[in-house]
Amino acid sequence: MILLETTTTAPAAISIPTLLLSAMVWIPAIGAIALLFFPSRTDAERDRIRSFAISVAAVVFGLGVLMWYGFSSQTGTYAFEETRGWLPGLSSSYHLGVDGVSMPLLLLSSVLFVFALMASPRVREQAKEYFILLLVLETGVNGVFASLDYLLFFLFWQLQAIPMFLLVARFGAVRRLAAAWKLLAVELASSALLLLAILILYRTAKTPTFDIATLHDVTVPAASALLVTWLFFIAFAVKLPVFPFHTWLTDGVSEASPPVALLLAGIGVKLGGYGLLRVNVGEFHSTFHKIVGAVIVIAVISVLWSAVAALAQDNLRRLVAYVVMSHMGLVLLAAASGSPVAINGAVLLMVADGLGAGLLVLIVAAIVERANTTSIRAMGGMAARMTRGAVLAILAALAAIGFPGLASFVGQLMIVMGAYGSHRLAIPLALLGVLVLAAAMIWTMQRIFFGVPLESQTRIRDLGMLELTNTIGLLALIVLLGLLPGVLMDSINFSVITLLTGAG
Amino acid sequence: MTLALLAAAPKGPIDTWDPSLIALFALLLPLFALLVILAFTIDSRQLSLAISVIFTLGAVICTLLVVAIEVAHPIHVERNATFLQFFTGQSGTASEFVLQWGVLADPLAATVLAAVALTSLFVQIYGLSYIRRDDGPIRFFCVLLFATFSMMGAVLATSYFEMLIFFGLISLTTYMMVGHWWQRAESTTAAATTFVISALGDVALLGAVAYIYFRFNELNFHTLAGLYTAPGKITANGLFIMSALVLIAAAAKSAQFPFHVWLPASAQAPAPAAAMLHAAGAALCGVYLIARSYALFHSSPRALALLAILGGVTALLGVVFALFQANLKRAIAYTTMAELGLMVLALGISAYGAAVFEAFTQAWPKALLFLAAGVVIREVRTERMSEMGGLWRRMPFTGWVMLIAVAAAAGVPPFSTFWSKDTILSRALAINSTLAVVVVVAVTVVGAMALVRIFCLVCLGETARRRRFEPDRIRDAGGRVAFAMLCFAIPSVVAGIRGIRGRTDPIAFVTFPGIPLPNSHFAAAGVIAVAALAGAALGWLIYGRRLRVPGLQRANPVLAEGLYLGRGYALAVSRALLPASAALGWVERSVIDGASDLVADSLAYAGRPRRWIADLSTRQLAIGVLAGALVLGVVVMIMTGRLFGTTG
Repeated sequence: MILLETTTTAPAAISIPTLLLSAMVWIPAIGAIALLFFPSRTDAERDRIRSFAISVAAVVFGLGVLMWYGFSSQTGTYAFEETRGWLPGLSSSYHLGVDGVSMPLLLLSSVLFVFALMASPRVREQAKEYFILLLVLETGVNGVFASLDYLLFFLFWQLQAIPMFLLVARFGAVRRLAAAWKLLAVELASSALLLLAILILYRTAKTPTFDIATLHDVTVPAASALLVTWLFFIAFAVKLPVFPFHTWLTDGVSEASPPVALLLAGIGVKLGGYGLLRVNVGEFHSTFHKIVGAVIVIAVISVLWSAVAALAQDNLRRLVAYVVMSHMGLVLLAAASGSPVAINGAVLLMVADGLGAGLLVLIVAAIVERANTTSIRAMGGMAARMTRGAVLAILAALAAIGFPGLASFVGQLMIVMGAYGSHRLAIPLALLGVLVLAAAMIWTMQRIFFGVPLESQTRIRDLGMLELTNTIGLLALIVLLGLLPGVLMDSINFSVITLLTGAG
Repeated sequence: MTLALLAAAPKGPIDTWDPSLIALFALLLPLFALLVILAFTIDSRQLSLAISVIFTLGAVICTLLVVAIEVAHPIHVERNATFLQFFTGQSGTASEFVLQWGVLADPLAATVLAAVALTSLFVQIYGLSYIRRDDGPIRFFCVLLFATFSMMGAVLATSYFEMLIFFGLISLTTYMMVGHWWQRAESTTAAATTFVISALGDVALLGAVAYIYFRFNELNFHTLAGLYTAPGKITANGLFIMSALVLIAAAAKSAQFPFHVWLPASAQAPAPAAAMLHAAGAALCGVYLIARSYALFHSSPRALALLAILGGVTALLGVVFALFQANLKRAIAYTTMAELGLMVLALGISAYGAAVFEAFTQAWPKALLFLAAGVVIREVRTERMSEMGGLWRRMPFTGWVMLIAVAAAAGVPPFSTFWSKDTILSRALAINSTLAVVVVVAVTVVGAMALVRIFCLVCLGETARRRRFEPDRIRDAGGRVAFAMLCFAIPSVVAGIRGIRGRTDPIAFVTFPGIPLPNSHFAAAGVIAVAALAGAALGWLIYGRRLRVPGLQRANPVLAEGLYLGRGYALAVSRALLPASAALGWVERSVIDGASDLVADSLAYAGRPRRWIADLSTRQLAIGVLAGALVLGVVVMIMTGRLFGTTG
């Protein structure tokens, strides 16, 4: 008897041109350049700009789906590899490729950009700049996920930092500039460490190269491997974010405009998680193992701190950041465990959290817009007027706390099951954090929606068509992954094993 | 052996049908009804309610078929499908990570499944009239269908993984049922309490899943049963920790001390929802989890002792709290707590069949009590028992069913729980455990007192006079409400009666290998009968005839508040956890955020004036980005010591 057929039929090796990955990375940039020549004086013209940007993102998403279908997972090696000579003097090459770890995140990025662009209808001032920056951001983010060369990786890392900073600084709420500077400080710190690590790696390697696949902790002396591992870890961890470097995320999510906050929480922090898995776990496995004790402590503190801070938080927007921080703490825990099951779960949790955070950001934006305040204490009884909003918000909260049937449940379960063997104290502590976060989320939703409706909130309207489309779209993906995680897991797993066994 | 007999016997349809397939149908019908309502008929109240009842009726028929098959030949059938599966090449050996879901059919599942489906059906019939049009009837029925589905899913779960999923769903449905009247502050607070304690249980179960998987690489109940006692697999301490984790999950769901505070709070649910919760919902699933993992508990004597102690304490506290509770629904809820404690105690003294029997027999009177309480509360418009009284004359039908329910729940012969309490006591006598015997008898006596007290305060005496309340306008239940109560009254009377299959219990097909059938002890039957009747008489004397008992008044406020345990938890949260988190929030804002503000501010200062960033044009931005990239490139070149073309 078959209840649910989860195995996807392995597709015959479709020969897709190797340019596909380059296309995913560069099409948004080309779109951004094209947008420069669009007029933006009237509303109709601004609408055209928005439609064009959405269609560019949709094309990228289509390519992503195409790639995912053609993605032959069975060997765990890089697919769609593309190597071109680039700066041969530095022995750095234009080397792109995806494996089961980066492919789901690349797909997540292309999905979230479509939703972020769809969710930005009301940009009146500087609409053109806004959409150009978003498309450049997509190039940067996709580039980070696709590049297999440290120099390229670093350049794309920079390329996503600049538009992110500008988007927060120019299109946010009242305190956006402070948030943007904080974001920039973190980006600069993490890039500086990244650059330092890459250069040390380059100088100490037996054969100087920037290629990610060939550089790992066997090819460099032990001392410098340790230093480099620490530098990489800190660079990625502040981006993750971990305690105590997380306030840039809370500020950023609360001050940026909703679509930018969606990208910041949904995909921005996943860059840190991806870097951690790709570089620290993948390339410096045995050295990373030496610092694992400290990593575990940081991860557990992050999970617990974010949960308790969420309980104390009165600003609804900031709450989303704590949910993301909690999930990324679990991802860090999984990365430290080095167990294939846990790392599979970490990749899945990152995808689930990206979708879930996006959903939560959009719902929260809708609530805040109607309540005209971000303070949870100043809300109440909103379910009376926004029934659909209440249902979707509670589902979003359930997705955030890892409710069965929704995507993050499977990720969390796999992390807990996989990491328990190596960390028998950390896992119960992290579970405590998960429990407190669940209580905080339910309590929050209850205070917003239930009880007697407030006088000031009796005339609010329910979710509109656009809000419904976006949130239900994200929710559908979350439910799909929650019920059929196999659609992603099959391709993730072999790469995780290659990641864990191939290097170090 | 049974199967060998079957092979010889002529094969009827019951012998060839696959019970697990029928169980799967029973499981999917409520879900299907829910989806149909949500997708198509959500705007039509009558159609939605009809669909709900009809599909639940279908599920009832399926479960009764499963029961018939299992009674004819008790077998364990299981069908699984893969949820997630991949290879993990850990430590050089090719191992596999598999999560499965599926359905199973065995006597235990069939018994509980029947209780769930029937309770759901009767409660829905009651709700057809009870839930008024402006009270969200469609939402109520949807939640009820979802609750039925999730409870059936937990009952039919084949592995801890699946159990974890359905435990989560049960937490959610419990939250939705308790918080049905979401505009009321007390009901949402109760719902939050319920959810947090339920979630605590879910997290404990998640821990148990991690630990069990870590030890055995397996989550299937049936496969695991053989592994616990396998030599060299796990130490006695490991087994004890494992069962303690499972026990925490079960205790949180089944309201064992000290997690019981959600049970009285859940009385905030509408009467039919409360009936579902207490008879065949969240309250039952914890006990079911213990019964399902009984191989685990059975392999650890310490875990069994823990079960017995926990169950005994819970049962004693439950009956005492019930005796002093002023609120009608809460008092009934505390009697449920006592029954749940009794079940856990029975499991602890290896009275496996007796515990399941008790779960089966107590469901009916408990649901009936809640439904009757719902009618009473609606008519007298108060939940305080001191403001009721004299309803025997004004609503005779409700009074009669309430009397039946009280007698059945108290264990008065020959009503339902008499037989199950008798089997529990028989086991306690058989193992010569004086403590267990004393606890069971004490719980029976005090429990009977508490139940009779409820009946006396509600039905006897004079109706209290209150402002703007006219006792003459009280109407007795009728129509569907009365029919539903009658549906529960019948099994309340007959559910325990023996002799259906020779001299054994009606559920004697529920067995656990190594534990003898719950044999009746003649002495036990006598003791229980005397205890129940004595308790009832005592209750009648004190609360019906107003016999003065010294000291009773003084104990009243402390015990009426349940030893202030619930209030203590609330205080711990509001006075300790929330201030602590607020303090951490302050640290977060001032120290951590302050420090990062400092960094950001100095950055901003370096890039002054602050506003320039907002005034840039796109072209300037593009140039700036390109220039930055160029500078960076040069920095990289210099630092690596290589300019173009000069390969080292």
